[in-house]
Amino acid sequence: MEKQSYKNTLLIVIGNLILLLAVFSITAFAQGKTAPAASEEGKALYDDKCAHCHGIEGAGDGSAAENLLPRPRDFTRGLYKIRSTESGQLPTDQDLFDIISNGMPGSSMPAWSEILSEGEQWQLVAHIKAFYDGFEGASPRLIDVSGKVPYSEESIAQGKEFYTNLGCVDCHGVIGRGDGTSAPDLADEWGFRSWPANLWEQWNYRGGSTTEDIFKRFIGGIAGSPMPSFISSFRLGLTDEESARMNDLELKMDGDGLSDTEEEEYAALEEKLFMFEDIMLNVEEGVELTPEEQTKLDTALEPILEKSWHLANYVKSLGPEERPPAAVGDKVLRSQYRAEGLPGMNDEAWNEIQEVSYFPLVGQIVIDPRQFNPSIDSVTAKSFYNDNEIVFLFTWDDRTKTLPQTDDETGETVEDALAIQFPVKISEGPTDPKPYFIYGDSRPVYLWSWKVAEPSTVIEMNAKGIGTATVQADQAPIQAEGVYKDGQYQLWIKRSLTTEDRNDVQFAPGVFIPIAFSAWDGSNGDVKTKRAISTWYTFVLDPVPSNKRFVYPPLVALISVGLLFGLRSSVRRRQNT
Amino acid sequence: MKTQVVTILTLLIACVYVTAATAAGGDEAVESLVFPASYKAMSVSNGGTISGTVTFDGAAPEIKKLEITKDAQVCGKTDKFDESIVLGEGNGLKNTIVYLMDISSGADFPSGAKYEMDQKGCQFDPHVRLLPIGQRLTMINPDRINHNVHIFSDANPAFNKSQPGTRRKMNIKAVKKAEGPVSVKCDVHGWMNAWIAYIPHPYFAVTDENGKYTLDNVPPGTYQLGYWQEACGTNKDAPVSVTVEAGGTVTQDFTLAKMSK
Repeated sequence: MEKQSYKNTLLIVIGNLILLLAVFSITAFAQGKTAPAASEEGKALYDDKCAHCHGIEGAGDGSAAENLLPRPRDFTRGLYKIRSTESGQLPTDQDLFDIISNGMPGSSMPAWSEILSEGEQWQLVAHIKAFYDGFEGASPRLIDVSGKVPYSEESIAQGKEFYTNLGCVDCHGVIGRGDGTSAPDLADEWGFRSWPANLWEQWNYRGGSTTEDIFKRFIGGIAGSPMPSFISSFRLGLTDEESARMNDLELKMDGDGLSDTEEEEYAALEEKLFMFEDIMLNVEEGVELTPEEQTKLDTALEPILEKSWHLANYVKSLGPEERPPAAVGDKVLRSQYRAEGLPGMNDEAWNEIQEVSYFPLVGQIVIDPRQFNPSIDSVTAKSFYNDNEIVFLFTWDDRTKTLPQTDDETGETVEDALAIQFPVKISEGPTDPKPYFIYGDSRPVYLWSWKVAEPSTVIEMNAKGIGTATVQADQAPIQAEGVYKDGQYQLWIKRSLTTEDRNDVQFAPGVFIPIAFSAWDGSNGDVKTKRAISTWYTFVLDPVPSNKRFVYPPLVALISVGLLFGLRSSVRRRQNT
Repeated sequence: MKTQVVTILTLLIACVYVTAATAAGGDEAVESLVFPASYKAMSVSNGGTISGTVTFDGAAPEIKKLEITKDAQVCGKTDKFDESIVLGEGNGLKNTIVYLMDISSGADFPSGAKYEMDQKGCQFDPHVRLLPIGQRLTMINPDRINHNVHIFSDANPAFNKSQPGTRRKMNIKAVKKAEGPVSVKCDVHGWMNAWIAYIPHPYFAVTDENGKYTLDNVPPGTYQLGYWQEACGTNKDAPVSVTVEAGGTVTQDFTLAKMSK
């Protein structure tokens, strides 16, 4: 009995301790940890690890900065993209720590968590803050993430509506591939080109891709970039009905005009909206609210935050979090045998192949001119073949369709294009070297060159090294069709399995055939060797399903049965003797 | 770990080939106005007036027509032109700020004044907006299409908020520090641009379509008179000294030439 009560007391004590800790952490660490004072150690670390990109004085102008896009952050203006704080606010110390620790996916900012200790990362936070006076005494307002709306089909559907109506499409495109009509002209506050996120590639979201992360970007904006805060998108304090009425009246105002009573009605609605907006502006201007005002504002913001969660859920629904695995090992591209004729570009048959093969691309930085900031990061492929022909369906994301035009910077004619590369002679084993992966060497490569200006033409080429690509005099009949839609190219190519030409690649089932890609985005200045490339991958034509399956199994069965009979008779014979 | 190694390698390679890169330019640094260290508002009686005309020096430059790349049904209703140099009668230069650099006390801003900036037809109006510190600005969007108000502040907090077609009027918060002029842009419509000067005293004027300006109610005294024009720069280093008599009028004209790039 005594033991039992001792146990109970212990449990209560532990329970209370946990509760206390929880309360303490909520109140004391609502903004996360805070940085220590700036120190010599922090400066030494910064100069060693960060200054190459961000510059000794923190102006984002280190020696490597010139070739990086996005550019390294300029710390002197206090503009930070990734924040848990409201629009126009500085980041919290924890925000800065998290970026140092996790890095910024899709940019050159690496994660330092495995290289630096936690203490060292905090010293860096302190040093970075010292580049901007505004941090002194600042206590940035946090975005309220408490009202998270669970992920559901219904929420996604509502979010999609907001995505379309609030202007997200202007930059991010109709279905979110970063191909909006404003996308080609976007620049950040330093005048450097700014690409809207391809929302389908969540592994590239700079500040992470959780629903909370997306919500915070939507409410707080991405400071210094064209991405605004959308907190202002809704009519604060009005019910959905009042907002719809205001909309109707505005339409009428632009049309036939309003009657006197309608004018009064409109003025009343506007007054209500401005009353709530006034409270919000007071908060932004640092005015302390009365408890009544605070309640009013919280109530008015609630439906707006809820709508924003719907939007975050919709964006979250667009794509996988992880970059797809490259087409190697069990993901290798397999051309599937299809006796009944090969599919055209828009044929349903393509859906039979559920998993596309993914070929990552990188900037070509070996040969001048180089591309340090490629805008095309992958090509995907599917393929079928039959006894005579092989067909491929390639896709790649490109935020802009660029027909031949003169590049402002280089004066070169640029355009969107894709080249698919095979060796002329397929190596016979692992010791037999492949041609050099960029346009071959003494071992020649065979190329299919496609350009956006002639979307139904693929030209056969050969190359024996950079700058040696020549168009084949004798073009085999290759069918092709390329289309651009919603930020993505699709290219369909069909050729006979074999040709008479010794300079062509010959396709045969069961052979591992090397394949590589080059992609040009004209609006990114891609031309000649300035482009995105892949290394060699291999693909294989699945073996033809054999007719022998109709021969061997019955044969084996027959033999087995025969053997059984033989065995039985031999046993019987023995028994008889 | 792998990605870090790759990133570091990429950086190293990037360092080696710095020379291969083309220098992408940030926006040219725009010169700013000069503000007094402090300003005390008081009632002014028997103040004087400074007025004049700002004229463009040289032949009228070719005015670039802006390319309307989207929302043409709204933005393309009328032709839009580059507004960095707008000339009127006798080459009078519009959108020049003329102001007193060193006044430390004088009149207050007129009370009850409203400050607006319109975005009708995807063009900011006015192109140069004077906004007293501590005053809110009303952004007007009668276009029923999406705009965003992106103010390139430095001394004041960052500002970039969306103003979709359903927000016909949007008030934006007041700032505390004198600054500018700072650039205002709409990223949705890349050609839209304007300027806001956050001013600490009322002795600023923007020239009208014929290059005329007036500063009135100026307490008698001698002042440094400055100008700012987006394409012609400032006279920060060589302001003009003017002396205002009680109830008197001083005329001070300026002739400005385009800055060489």
